[in-house]
Amino acid sequence: MFFFILTNNNSNKMFFLFILFFSTLISISSNSWFGCWIGLEINLLSFIPLISNSKNLLSVETSLKYFLTQSLASINFLFMILIKFSLLKNFDMNNIISIMMNSSLLMKMGSAPFHFWFPNIVEGLSWMNNFMLMTWQKISPMILLSYYFNKNFLIFMIIMNLIIGSLGGLNQTSLRKLLAFSSINNLGWMIFSIMISENLWLFYFLIYSMMIFMMISLFFLMNMYFMNQLFINNMNFFIKMNLLINFLSLGGLPPFMGFMPKWIIINFLLINKFYFLTFIFMMTSLIIIYYYIRIIYSSFMFNYFKMKWMNLFMKNNMFLINLSSFISISSMILSTFIFM
Amino acid sequence: MLIYDIWFLFIYMFFVGNLIFVSKNKHLLVVLLSLEFIVLSIFFFFLVLLMFIDYDMYMLMAFLVFSVCEGSLGLSILVSMIRSHGNDYFQSFSML
Repeated sequence: MFFFILTNNNSNKMFFLFILFFSTLISISSNSWFGCWIGLEINLLSFIPLISNSKNLLSVETSLKYFLTQSLASINFLFMILIKFSLLKNFDMNNIISIMMNSSLLMKMGSAPFHFWFPNIVEGLSWMNNFMLMTWQKISPMILLSYYFNKNFLIFMIIMNLIIGSLGGLNQTSLRKLLAFSSINNLGWMIFSIMISENLWLFYFLIYSMMIFMMISLFFLMNMYFMNQLFINNMNFFIKMNLLINFLSLGGLPPFMGFMPKWIIINFLLINKFYFLTFIFMMTSLIIIYYYIRIIYSSFMFNYFKMKWMNLFMKNNMFLINLSSFISISSMILSTFIFM
Repeated sequence: MLIYDIWFLFIYMFFVGNLIFVSKNKHLLVVLLSLEFIVLSIFFFFLVLLMFIDYDMYMLMAFLVFSVCEGSLGLSILVSMIRSHGNDYFQSFSML
């Protein structure tokens, strides 16, 4: 992220990036709920300068929408904290106050009933800002969610996340929105994993952010924002192979890296007899893999026009691309060597 | 001192502020004003709550600092929008 900020000639945004990192740390390591709210406010304060760019009409609108939803969510969160404080409901997590607090945190994350701002904003941001939005901005609401959650409410939200994330991506042609709906779907998995244990959530989150980083860096290097840009024949075979591997890994197909955290979650689900939830997890994953394969199949198999004037110079970045393919394929096997 | 009917006032103010925030307005400034109204209701609530404990208003001051920062951030986004679009009407949004 630092490298990409420097290449865009925008090193004055480094300050805001550091404050963004610190704000998450403030939020998750505070002693009281008020400190959590302060961390969320500083997060908003430092993310807005990163995404606003006054040369562009679209980015002004994006930062405005982001500001409105996030500020509403955090001010509602504070009000619910005060009501929880005044009514002294510190240990019972099955009441309406935990539902309201979880709702405001879910709105901060872009989770299902409150997800309508998320594809819009992702459409208006550049790839690196999208990476920050999809990975780092989810950390502090999720950890705050794990401190005081309502189990029944969250399971319902997880089901909504999975269904909306899978069905919403079916009609998209923009790569950013596709990854946005995939992110909403993965949020369902992540919320369930944080209800199990925070360690498992950390594992899922790290692997997810690594996969998203590989995909986003590939799209960033090729400067691709829409699906029809994927169908050029001038792409090197290794780049297309990398795209295939990363897409399938993101969908959670077995030999690739993305299967491992989903496997552990499914294991937990089946041992504890959550059969209906397992069914929904599986079926929505199938829909997501369907629309990934639809893209890759067209990109690989069909014989599109080979354009003379458009050459992709990717020779400097082939190391990164090959490394990411290697990691995606071999992570599951190599991880068994850790415990030898 | 034990007047608990005042909770209704806080919840009502908060609810009305939220209602105006989510309503369809012509100007963006109305939305930002409703955000400040919610902040005001929370300020009042916080004040009364802290008065029941021990008169230590430090948390209230910290809350005020951060909510003022947020309000000024909203205004700066409003200024940025006026500089690029020319007005702050909601009709000039064209993104989905």
